Amino acid sequence: MSTTAEAAPRGLSRRRMRVDGWRWSGRIFLAFMLLYTAVPMIWMLITSIKSGFAAMQFPPQWWPDEPTLASYEKLLDPQNSVGQDFLRFFWNSLFVSTVTTILSVIVAVPAAYAFSRFSFPGRNFLFFAVLLRNMFPAVIFLVPLFILMRLLGLMNTHGSLILTYLTFGLPLAIWLLKGFYDNIPVQLEQAARIDGATRFQAFILIVMPLSAPGIIATAIYSFIGAWNEYIYAYTFLTKNDQLTLPVGIQRFFSENTTDFPGLMAASFMMSVPVVVLFLVLQRYFVRALTEGAVKH
Amino acid sequence: MTIVTGKAEARRRLQSGKPGVLRKIWEHRADYTYVLPAIAVMLIVIAYPIYYTIELSFFKTPPGLQLRDKTFIGIDNYTAILTSEVFWRVTWNTLIWTLGSTLIAFVLGFATALALHREFVGRGVLRAILIIPWVISAVAASYIWKWIYHSDFGIIGAVLVGLGLADRPPNFIDSVSTVLPSLIVVNIWREFPFAMIMMMAGLQTVPEQLLRAAQVDGASAWQRFWHVTFPHLRNVSTVTILLLAVANFNSFIIPWIMTGGGPSNASHIWITHIYELAFGRQRWGVASAYSVLLFLTLMTLGYFYVRALSGNERQEGSA
Repeated sequence: MSTTAEAAPRGLSRRRMRVDGWRWSGRIFLAFMLLYTAVPMIWMLITSIKSGFAAMQFPPQWWPDEPTLASYEKLLDPQNSVGQDFLRFFWNSLFVSTVTTILSVIVAVPAAYAFSRFSFPGRNFLFFAVLLRNMFPAVIFLVPLFILMRLLGLMNTHGSLILTYLTFGLPLAIWLLKGFYDNIPVQLEQAARIDGATRFQAFILIVMPLSAPGIIATAIYSFIGAWNEYIYAYTFLTKNDQLTLPVGIQRFFSENTTDFPGLMAASFMMSVPVVVLFLVLQRYFVRALTEGAVKH
Repeated sequence: MTIVTGKAEARRRLQSGKPGVLRKIWEHRADYTYVLPAIAVMLIVIAYPIYYTIELSFFKTPPGLQLRDKTFIGIDNYTAILTSEVFWRVTWNTLIWTLGSTLIAFVLGFATALALHREFVGRGVLRAILIIPWVISAVAASYIWKWIYHSDFGIIGAVLVGLGLADRPPNFIDSVSTVLPSLIVVNIWREFPFAMIMMMAGLQTVPEQLLRAAQVDGASAWQRFWHVTFPHLRNVSTVTILLLAVANFNSFIIPWIMTGGGPSNASHIWITHIYELAFGRQRWGVASAYSVLLFLTLMTLGYFYVRALSGNERQEGSA
């Protein structure tokens, strides 16, 4: 490098200018993407602290004249009927998402381990079947599942949601976890088994702790997926006290179409749990997503 | 292809003659117990519905879904779909929606990944902010953007009027010509972070030495990108584009919440249309036939999907 620099100073400076051009266009592009990403979220927050009257102004108040937390107070007030509904939806979402997450991990861990380690007949076929399911939209399954849930007596219960979320979350969960198991050296288990551990013991004592990041990531995925799911909840639940947040909010604001500050406050609070979860654990989250697609 | 235990390897070598499949299955019986719970759940909730959808598509079922009263009508549901004008309109919308969202989201995500590849102050924070739209619920995103597009009090309209670019706030989602592009903008907002994450991970696998070598040989930034970086990212790009395409083809929430398919079907895509046929108009047979067509389309796409997901290393030589 240094010899090139001494021999051709002019060429180098031109190259540096070139590079700077790329770097500057990169910065401008990033600034644009930041605006695109952040402006809607900031506008949501600003609107949520306006009064209903202040939100309905043209031109809009870029910053509210009288910022107020009234919308949040209303939504979180257990005495108020709006607050009662919102808190119940929140609790329902939390319950369904947590149970789904726990069950997903319990079912996906052994399956992913088997797909990664064993070579039983039909292994590839089953794995592709698992992956293929991931392609099909909820709508294809809605009518028959609607009938099935009616048959099982699960209509209007959280059981119907947990069962469907579990099934539809499994392919991704298995795929993510398999990526992690593929990267854990088999020799570790073999060593444990030579020392007298059974396959199961080796699995629990050696593989499980090593795959903890994968399990955490899978759990976050299941949780966020269940938390944000809309179409099944929209179809299977009709009773007001059973609704999860996405459907509850939609139902509520189809009745109060002009309460935009309330709607924005509700959207914000619905986003808080998943965004916090993601920000705290984003290391695992990002790694898991890319583990399967990028071979190191 | 994947890591297999030494014991299983040995077992396989021993059986190198032509072992009966049944015997092989029996020898591996313990292995299946690990997969069984997953398979069982999926059989109930997936295989049965698929069978049922196919069956219903050949029947006329009463609006109340009384299954005992359904009557066999052959392929009438299918001909009804293929001869209807709405079908072609919706198919065209689906095509624009899927291709537009996928390509733009991919290009934006890839460009962001490239711009974020170099270390700088605040990079981690910026990356986290850019990913947030992907994490929040599509329902929340739909409402946020519905408010942004609002025809009287929307912020975009106000900015356009303020800058003198429009006399009055435009009708983004109430007009037949602008509704689909407006919804695609929302969809891309939610999806480009996914492409960004995938491509960032892909970029980390590009060998630094190769880039250095190319630089020493006098390759320009663009040449280095095109001849070194890009070929390395072919596989991860394929996977990302396919995953995006499938997700977009299957999306429902954004059009459903923001417009419900309107105005006059201008933002109906296949999925929202099927949903409306089934649960809005109770035309179960037609909706099921639609689902079967959708299924066949996806199976075709699925062939490429599985090949891309499973054959990363095999493709290296062939393509």
